[in-house]
Amino acid sequence: MTIALKAETKKYQRFFKTMGFCLGIFAMTLVSTMILPMRSAHAEKQVTVGVLVPLTGELGEFGTVVARSIELGVKQINTAGGTTCGKIRLVTRDTHGNPERGIREATKMIESEGAVAVIGPESGVMVALVDLAKRKKTVIMSPYAGTITLNKLGGDFVYRTVSSDLGDGDASGMWLTEKGYKKVAFLVQNEESTISPAQVAKKIVEKSGMKLTDFVIFNPGQPSYQAELISVLAHNPDAIYLAGGQQSGVTVIKEATSGGFAGEWLFTADLAVPEVFDNVGAEHINGRAYVEFADADRSLPEFKAFEKLYREEEGKEPGPFASNSFDMINLVALAIEASGQCSGSGINSAIRDVADGGSVVTTFAEGKAALAKGMNINFEGASGPLKFDKSGGVSGAYSIQAAKNGKWANEKFYPASVFKN
Amino acid sequence: MLLLQYIVSGVATGCFLILATIGFSLTRHVEGFLNIAHAQLLGVSAFSTWWINVVLGWPLIPSAIIGIFCAALIGLVIGRVVYEPIRSAGPAILLISSVGVAHILGGLIDTAIGTGIRTLNIDIATSYRFWGIRITDHQLLVVALAVIASASLSLFLAKSRTGLAIRAMAVNPSLAASRGVDVKRTSRATWLLSSSLAGLAGVVLAIIATLSTEIAFEQILQILAVAILAGLGSLFTVIWSGLIIGIAMDASVFWIPAGYRPLIAFGVVIIVLVFRPDGLSGRRSS
Repeated sequence: MTIALKAETKKYQRFFKTMGFCLGIFAMTLVSTMILPMRSAHAEKQVTVGVLVPLTGELGEFGTVVARSIELGVKQINTAGGTTCGKIRLVTRDTHGNPERGIREATKMIESEGAVAVIGPESGVMVALVDLAKRKKTVIMSPYAGTITLNKLGGDFVYRTVSSDLGDGDASGMWLTEKGYKKVAFLVQNEESTISPAQVAKKIVEKSGMKLTDFVIFNPGQPSYQAELISVLAHNPDAIYLAGGQQSGVTVIKEATSGGFAGEWLFTADLAVPEVFDNVGAEHINGRAYVEFADADRSLPEFKAFEKLYREEEGKEPGPFASNSFDMINLVALAIEASGQCSGSGINSAIRDVADGGSVVTTFAEGKAALAKGMNINFEGASGPLKFDKSGGVSGAYSIQAAKNGKWANEKFYPASVFKN
Repeated sequence: MLLLQYIVSGVATGCFLILATIGFSLTRHVEGFLNIAHAQLLGVSAFSTWWINVVLGWPLIPSAIIGIFCAALIGLVIGRVVYEPIRSAGPAILLISSVGVAHILGGLIDTAIGTGIRTLNIDIATSYRFWGIRITDHQLLVVALAVIASASLSLFLAKSRTGLAIRAMAVNPSLAASRGVDVKRTSRATWLLSSSLAGLAGVVLAIIATLSTEIAFEQILQILAVAILAGLGSLFTVIWSGLIIGIAMDASVFWIPAGYRPLIAFGVVIIVLVFRPDGLSGRRSS
């Protein structure tokens, strides 16, 4: 009897334990379903912007500068209270310099992360993303994609805060002419972004009466460029215009130097990095090498303010295209603010207006305040005026720097006003 | 004279291709598949050499020896862990697996090295002129290493017990096994040997080129071109193939724009295969 009672009691204990456990789970679920919406209601509104840059490989140095400059811009924007759509949240991905990967990452950013704009891709990736941008109605913008392919494809959802490569060609041609060389050879990497400006520079050189001894197009990724240099060195030019990447460019410089080339060099933007001195050996290029690249007008107060901010945050001078990148995120934020829409279409509809035709503003905070008063604004960025042309590009200025004491030092500045393109 | 200069440059290019391809061809003969990851082993060796030479500040020769050792060890481990268990699955599965291995190695190199370019802490090449023809000490080094590596490999395969076992397995693995050849041991020796040769090519790459994380894998198409042109013949067909493609590519610049240089490699391969479908060796795969 006692045993039967004990067994019955245990059954009831088990029943109540199970019921208690179930009730506990039910209560927790109920509480969490009530709390979570309350928490998300209190969570800050955010708008996502994708940063798609080459963080690895040869262009990694540039991509890192771009990503960091965008972060600086976001810090300022969010400190000023963010946009109508909330504070900006960045999602950063690496293109690996590969258009196919760029498309994959951009698609993920737009579809999974809800990015309203994807900013930062290099030329090849930008061209590959044009169709996606228009199809998904998401703005894409680059601070350094100078490719002339975008001169035809850009303009609607596709923008850049740098001028077309044709301007690079003009600036290089002008510099070669001014230097008064008699014979010049061109060594150009087999890519659209290097061939287009080289063709423009070539026309200027030929028009000036200079002798073009060689126009050699070489492929990147070769261990050696001895074959490409044979004819160039045999003609003994006064200067070599070298439009190449860092990997190919450094090999060409070293092999030409060891082959006895004693003339001067004009490099294009990819070689405007301090690593060139370490890898070539500063003694081989000091005093006889120049580099041409799209640059901000460093005398502008907007650039000086950005330079100060960059130095404070990064402890060094802004790298190539840093100011163009900083302006890019400010334009996106101001376009969101002006359109009042948290979408790529909203940004696309307002981005030209905030960059042209109203009261001049130089920061997001100023622009936000002016827009709140119902004013039209004209954002003048750290890289200069940003009036978009029909193809979504801007007119730009260019700098020539000279190799001096193992560093690039300013030599000549061509303001945007001197170029036709 | 200018044409002769292009031919001399082509010989150096061909010798680099020989160094990059002999290990690849050895694996192809013995293991029976195209190991796409071979090119990444050049990168492993090149960046190990760079790291020891530049970051640790060691002289070039010990750095290069360690670089070759790293490539050999990693190649052996990959052969043992990845390819050996799926050896029976056939060449197509092995080939696809090797593409996967190439991507993994590439990703690891990317992660370890990061962005930008790298060069060894060595002097810029010195040029010498012989009867008006210019050649650099780096080019001479490439030629010398190609000769030494080819001769040593040839002697090893002809004279040593392991070398003979490797040759027996390359001709007929089943027959070799039935005649007492230890297949696993010979396979591992092949991986060690071919990866060491990739390591040597990687050191040469680090000496003559500017290193980026992509440059090693970018050599795979030319390695394939040389290997396909050579076919399944002896080491000497690989040497001939390397020289033919190297000279054809560089000498072509005398007549046609240098941008077409890589096309010349495959143009030569197509022309030769039209007349000799099994490559220069004329031997069919068993």
